[in-house]
Amino acid sequence: MCGVMGDNVTASGLPHGELMNEFVEAICARDTARTAKARQAIVDILGESAMVDAAAVIAAFNAYPRMADATGIPLEDAKEAATVEMRQELGLNALDNG
Amino acid sequence: MAQAYDTAPVALRDDLRDALNRAHERLAQPGSWLDGPQRLAVAAEARHAWDCALCQARKDSISPYAVTGDHASLGQLPTAWVDAIHRVVTDSGRLSARWYHETLDGGMVEDELIEVISVTVQAVVIDCFTAGIGMDRPASPTASPGQADRSHRTEAKTGTGWAATIAPEDAKPDFADFYDNDSHFYIRRSLTLVPDETRRLWDLLNHLYMEDPRTIELDGMDRDISRAQMEFLAARASALLGCYY
Repeated sequence: MCGVMGDNVTASGLPHGELMNEFVEAICARDTARTAKARQAIVDILGESAMVDAAAVIAAFNAYPRMADATGIPLEDAKEAATVEMRQELGLNALDNG
Repeated sequence: MAQAYDTAPVALRDDLRDALNRAHERLAQPGSWLDGPQRLAVAAEARHAWDCALCQARKDSISPYAVTGDHASLGQLPTAWVDAIHRVVTDSGRLSARWYHETLDGGMVEDELIEVISVTVQAVVIDCFTAGIGMDRPASPTASPGQADRSHRTEAKTGTGWAATIAPEDAKPDFADFYDNDSHFYIRRSLTLVPDETRRLWDLLNHLYMEDPRTIELDGMDRDISRAQMEFLAARASALLGCYY
């Protein structure tokens, strides 16, 4: 989880996690040069179709958060119950904008 | 005639290419509450929002309400629409119930707001993917004639958020199939006040990500990254937007 929050991607143990992280950060920062470099790195190591699939997921998750935050949908009960400790550890409960 | 994503600089899955082509064209077609020129104007304003000085100052401030002023807009849409679009694009992690209700008080019909949010999101998503694969943004399509029918769905209710939505148990026969695969997650329900627009949006999202996220692995799915890598990208993009849903 700390890797996802950007603290230590390497420690996440995700195969090619740093490549993935650089790509998502570059796209979300709208940094064209950085995106081009990250894109090429993924193409070189994982192939073009992997790069396309990664770009697609990043694009989709530029939608879901905006939809959730614009309409104020809450966490489902089951997810809320399953993430009590994690939300406390990450301080997420302070981010209730309602 | 070749469509916009037929000429992508990299090979795209057929289903993904077709979904992107549909989404691109639909930006110019009459929706449920907005006509074609309005939808194109919303998409254009969404793309323009990134360069808005007020949005940048608000983004840098401790609260979006600490900075006042006027948005740098293209001048095609009412003030309340422009503010809604800019906030969704540039600072979605700090949207609030206050923002939602002030937007409606500013003169927007709730159904219009939902379609504006959807079109805004689609413009962001299309651009995000296009930039990601290193493709120039395709030229905007030409607006199609025709009117939106502006038909309000009375079965929609508030209760799971700020927006009225259609619950699975309240869905009428023409919309019940939207919940067919038991994907009753609130995110799927979030924009259902405008059912046809919701279908248009999810027709794109299903191909970018996946139709049923309860899938544990990617059996039968044509993907070249792992489920773990997909979920990492998903969570990381959400965190960068300040969304902790």
